[in-house]
Amino acid sequence: MSDKQTLFQERLKRYVTAMRNEKPDRVPVRPFAAEVTAVHAGFTCQQVTHDYRYAFEAILQCCRDYDWDATVPNMVYVWTGLVKSLGIKYYAVPGIEVSADTGFQYMEPPENGAWMREDEYDIFVKEPIDFLANVWFPRVTQHVAPPGSPASFRGNMAMLSGMASMKNYFAAYGPHINRMTNETGTPCAISGILKAPFDIIADKFRGYRALCMDLYRQPDKVVALTEALTPHLAFVAEQTADPGRNLPVGLWLHRGCLPFLSPKQFEKFFWPSLKQIICTLWSKGIQTLFYAEGEWNGNLKYISELPDKSIVYHVDRGDIFEVHKAVGHKFCISGGIPNDLLAFGTPDEVKQFVKKVIQGVGKDGGYIVDACAIMQNDTKLENLRAMGEAAYEYGVY
Amino acid sequence: MNEQQTKHPGVCVPFEEAKADWPEIQGDEEIVRKVWEENDAEAYMFLWQCVLSF
Repeated sequence: MSDKQTLFQERLKRYVTAMRNEKPDRVPVRPFAAEVTAVHAGFTCQQVTHDYRYAFEAILQCCRDYDWDATVPNMVYVWTGLVKSLGIKYYAVPGIEVSADTGFQYMEPPENGAWMREDEYDIFVKEPIDFLANVWFPRVTQHVAPPGSPASFRGNMAMLSGMASMKNYFAAYGPHINRMTNETGTPCAISGILKAPFDIIADKFRGYRALCMDLYRQPDKVVALTEALTPHLAFVAEQTADPGRNLPVGLWLHRGCLPFLSPKQFEKFFWPSLKQIICTLWSKGIQTLFYAEGEWNGNLKYISELPDKSIVYHVDRGDIFEVHKAVGHKFCISGGIPNDLLAFGTPDEVKQFVKKVIQGVGKDGGYIVDACAIMQNDTKLENLRAMGEAAYEYGVY
Repeated sequence: MNEQQTKHPGVCVPFEEAKADWPEIQGDEEIVRKVWEENDAEAYMFLWQCVLSF
């Protein structure tokens, strides 16, 4: 076994042990490093977002230069080359709609221009894949025509180049992950994709503002759609999960926290379908990375209903010490290092904060060092390094 | 899957619907079914990846 493969095995064991809420030899470091990798490698946001080969090279450089126990092969997750091939309308792309040094932006639709109309719940519920193909996809792309409308050369080519490009993109991950393993000894942090049914309705169909009106005007239809989407989202998560069952599926949570939803609304609209998916995945040995973006502590009583170890609970804005007190006996906790500290603080301030979190949350294992949210190009490189060094200094058991 | 839906997760065009467009299959129908369903699942995944990842 090469030195890099030995290192890979050591890190993977450390990372997986912590994710199972047990005590490894040291607190693992697992940064979700997005555009900050471009800063480290000397690339622009446009380069790493629009040409994924730059993104792969940037993360490899980081893996070589920082001692990370796991990371995401490409945290600049939206490849905008594919977005433009398909003609997807809801992104502002670095170097095109925004400057080359700005990260990509998701554009929320106006309330009267949502990608799914308010009277389309029933047809979506009846046959989701038909709705996606016939209504949603033509609507969110520039040239693809819905059934009954004249097809166009540009629309046909958008489908062809889009499908081929996506296939190429995902196929490129295999060799890239092999390079992470063999050249740097760094394991992947996650595998697969999951969104909460309510979130995906808000993000890609109704938009948050229109969906909020639906919660009052047609609440039963919203619930029906979350239920209709549940088996499909569970299926995609399972199909894209780590076959070895070591790595968790990434679940990126957007609208379930305060102030977007009240606890009562969360209980009715958000939680039942998501809980069902997480429990289904766990029954098949698949852990979920519960990436709780925003302030989620008001929902901890619901989170605690989940089976022990079924999730890794990632803390963003919530008080990480409260989270540990409430669910630390059930789940591994990750994150909790503020992004504003990483952007504007000093390395010593970062180290002291990480030390405090390790001593308060990670003293018995089951904690993984990471920023609160994915790190973009405002993160100072010296602070990124300090975050890891604090784990090596204060996180040894 | 709710009671209204007729297509299981992973399915866009069910094999039976595709088969109705063809002459009677003379050889091993299971080979034809298997390959159809595998390719159909790729289309399903393409659409859902557009929704979830892009």
